[in-house]
Amino acid sequence: MTHLADPVRASAHRGTDGTSPPGRSRRPSTRTTPRARRLRPLLFCAPFIVLFAGMYLAPIAYAAVSSLFALHRTGLGLTAPTARFDPLSNYTQALQDDAFTSSLVRVALFGVVQVPVMLGIALLLALLFDAKSARGRGFFRLSSFLPYAIPGVSAALVWSFMYSSQSSPINRLLEPLGAAVPFFDEDLALWSVANIVTWSWAGYNAIIIYSALQSIPSEVLEAARMDGASAIRIAWSIKIPAVRGALVLTTVFSIIGSAQLFNEPTVLQPVSGGSISSTFTPIMSAQSAVAAGNHHYAAAQSVLLAVAVGVVSFAFFKLTERKGQA
Amino acid sequence: MKRSTARCAGLAGALALALTVSGCAGSGSASGKASITFWGWAPGYADAVKAFNAGHPDIDVDYQSVQPGAKGGYQKMLNAVKAGNAPCLAQVGYETIPSFATQGALENVAEYASPDKGDYVDAAWQSVTLAGNVYGAPVDTGPMALFYNKKVFDSLGLKPPKTWAEYRTAAKRIHASDPERHISSPYMDYDYAGLAWQAGAKWFGTAHDSWQTTMDSAANKKVADYWQSLTDDGLISSAPMYDQAWYTGLGNGDIATVVGAVWQAGTIKGGVKKASGDWAVAPMPQWKEGEKRVGNSGGSATAVLKGCDDPEAAWEFAHWMSTDKKAFGGLVDKAALYPAATDLLDLPQLKPDPYFGGQNIYEVFADASPHVDPDWTWGPLMTKTSTDLNDGLGKAWVGKGSIAGALRTAQDKTRTEMKKQGLSVSD
Repeated sequence: MTHLADPVRASAHRGTDGTSPPGRSRRPSTRTTPRARRLRPLLFCAPFIVLFAGMYLAPIAYAAVSSLFALHRTGLGLTAPTARFDPLSNYTQALQDDAFTSSLVRVALFGVVQVPVMLGIALLLALLFDAKSARGRGFFRLSSFLPYAIPGVSAALVWSFMYSSQSSPINRLLEPLGAAVPFFDEDLALWSVANIVTWSWAGYNAIIIYSALQSIPSEVLEAARMDGASAIRIAWSIKIPAVRGALVLTTVFSIIGSAQLFNEPTVLQPVSGGSISSTFTPIMSAQSAVAAGNHHYAAAQSVLLAVAVGVVSFAFFKLTERKGQA
Repeated sequence: MKRSTARCAGLAGALALALTVSGCAGSGSASGKASITFWGWAPGYADAVKAFNAGHPDIDVDYQSVQPGAKGGYQKMLNAVKAGNAPCLAQVGYETIPSFATQGALENVAEYASPDKGDYVDAAWQSVTLAGNVYGAPVDTGPMALFYNKKVFDSLGLKPPKTWAEYRTAAKRIHASDPERHISSPYMDYDYAGLAWQAGAKWFGTAHDSWQTTMDSAANKKVADYWQSLTDDGLISSAPMYDQAWYTGLGNGDIATVVGAVWQAGTIKGGVKKASGDWAVAPMPQWKEGEKRVGNSGGSATAVLKGCDDPEAAWEFAHWMSTDKKAFGGLVDKAALYPAATDLLDLPQLKPDPYFGGQNIYEVFADASPHVDPDWTWGPLMTKTSTDLNDGLGKAWVGKGSIAGALRTAQDKTRTEMKKQGLSVSD
C-alpha cells in the first residue's frame, strides 16, 4: 500500500541511490503530474465522499428544503396532497407547538442533570480502573462496559419490567418496608429514563476517559508520588486535568445523545400510564408529525433540534476553550 | 495520510456492500400477461398467491413480503407511491385505508369491484369504501365478542354477562372475591374503538366533501363514562394489554375477561398456554337487553395502490384471495384470519379448539359478524389520532384525567392538524 500511495518518495529513493538516474527527472512528469498527485487521495476517498454526500449531506439538505414547504390538501383530501412554498409556516408552528417546545425543555433539563451525573460516575470509574492498587481491573472494566453492548431497545425493555408497577422486583423488595418507587410518576418518569441512559453509557464513557488516562507519562505520576502527593491529590491535580480533552468530547457526545433521546422513552411509553406521551422528546414529536403524514413539519422540528444541538455544542466547546487558555 | 485513505476505502467498501444487499427488486413484465406485484405480511399470503398463479395463466402475481404496516410497511408503501414504483396491491389495515386515501396513495376500483359487493359482510365493505370510492378487497375482519375466564366465572357461580349492566355486576363480584382480581384491563386505541363501534359511537364521518369528527358525541360519552366508572371503582386492572403483566393476569385469573376481536383468540392461546381449557367465548354484552350489536376491531384489505397499471387484474386477484374457499382456508390455518366474505364464515378450518374447552368459538363470531355496525368510518390521520388518544387514555385508565377527556383532546388535536393541512372539517 505504502509504495503505491507514495510513488514520489519511491522514485526519489531510486534517484538518490542511483539505480535509475534518468528516471529522476522524467518519471514524476509522465506518471504522476503534480495535479494527478493531488487528485490521487481524492480518488481513494471518492467512494466515501460520494456515499457521505448521498447518504448524509443530501438527506440533511432534503430535510432543510422540505421544512420550507407547507402541506396543503383540500376537501376530503382524496387526491395527493401538494406542498406550497411557505418558508416560515412550519417553523412558526413548531415554536408555538406546546408539545414540541416542552419536549425541547424536557431534554434540556435531562441533559443538564443526567450528563454531569453520568460523566461524574464515568470519571470516577475510570480513575478507579487506573488506580495502582485496583484489583480485578479487567473484570470491572468489562462489566461496567457491558451495558453498552446491550442494544438500547433491549435494555429499555428489561428496565420496563423493573419499573412496571405489576412486575417491579425493586418495589417487591421494598414492599416489606411499606415503600414503593413510583417510577412512572409524572415527575419521576424523566429520571427513570435518565437512569437507563446512565446505566447504558456510563461504562462506555469511562472507557474513553480511561484510555485518555493511559496517555499520561508515567514519569509525571512518578514525580508526583516522589513529591509525596496522595492518590487523591494526583487524581485531582494531574489525572483529571490530563483527561480534560476526553471529558469535553464525552460531554459533547452526551449532549447530542440527550437531544436525540428516543429509544428508551418510546419503549417505556406503553407501560408508563400516560406519563410518557407520544411527544415526550423532540424526536418523538417529529415522529408523531410523520404519523400525521406531515413530513414537512417533522423536517422543521428536526432542523430546529439540529440547530439547538449545534449551538449548545459549539457554545460548550467555546466555553471550555476559553477556560483552557485562562 | 495513509491511514485516513485506508479508512476511507474501508468505510466505502462497507457502505457499498450494504447498498448491494439492500438492492431493490425490479418488476419484470411478461409478454401479454398481466403482472401484478403484491406487498403484504400475513403468513399464508405467499401460498395463496402460488395457488392463484397456478390456476390463472393470464395473470402473474408476484408476492413480496414486507414489514407489518405499523412497523414500517405502510411507510414503505407510501414512499413507493411517492417514488412512482409502488406495487399494484398491498395489505392495508381498515383503520389505515382513509389515511392512505388522503395521501392520494389509493386507486379507486369501484368500476371493477362494485358488482362483487354482495360477497362481503356489510361492515367490511364499508371499511374499504370512502365517499363512494372503493379502494380494495376486504380480506379479514375482527368481529368482537367476550372472552371470559370460565374457571373464574364458574367458581363464583357467574354466567357470562348479557348486558353491560350485568358485566358491571360481575366485575364487582369478581373483585370482591379477591382484590387482585379484575374484570378486565385498560383498552387503548383500536381495542377501545371496538367498544365505541358497538355502541354506534362513531368517531369520524364524511358529508358534503367535508370530514366530520364525533369523538365527543353523546354516544361516545356514554361508552367512556361506563368504562370510567369501572376503572374509578377499581374494577379494572392496571396491566397494559399485550404487556407481560397482562398475559400473567390472563393466565392466573386476575384478569377475567377480554372484550376483543376474533383474533384475540390467537393472542390468548399463544400468550397463555397454561390456561388451556380455562377460557370461553360469549357474545358481546349489549347496551340494551335483547339487542344484537357488535363492534369490530382490526381486519385488513388488499388495497389497490395509486399508479397500478392493471387495476382490473389487481381486483381479480384481490377478490379471489378473499373469497376462494381453499385459499382462505389456508389463511385461516396459517394466519388465523377471519373471513370478510359472507360465504366463508363456515369454513371447515373454523373449528372447535381444545384450548377453549372444545367450544366452537367461531360459531359465536359467525353469528356476530353480520351484526357489526356497517356505519363506521376511520379518520384521515388515524395514526396521529390513535397516538394522541393513547396519550390521554394511558392516564385516564390509571385515574388521571378521564376517558371522555382523552377522546375530546384527541379529537381537538386531530381537527387542528386536519385544518392546518387544509382538509375541510365541518363543525
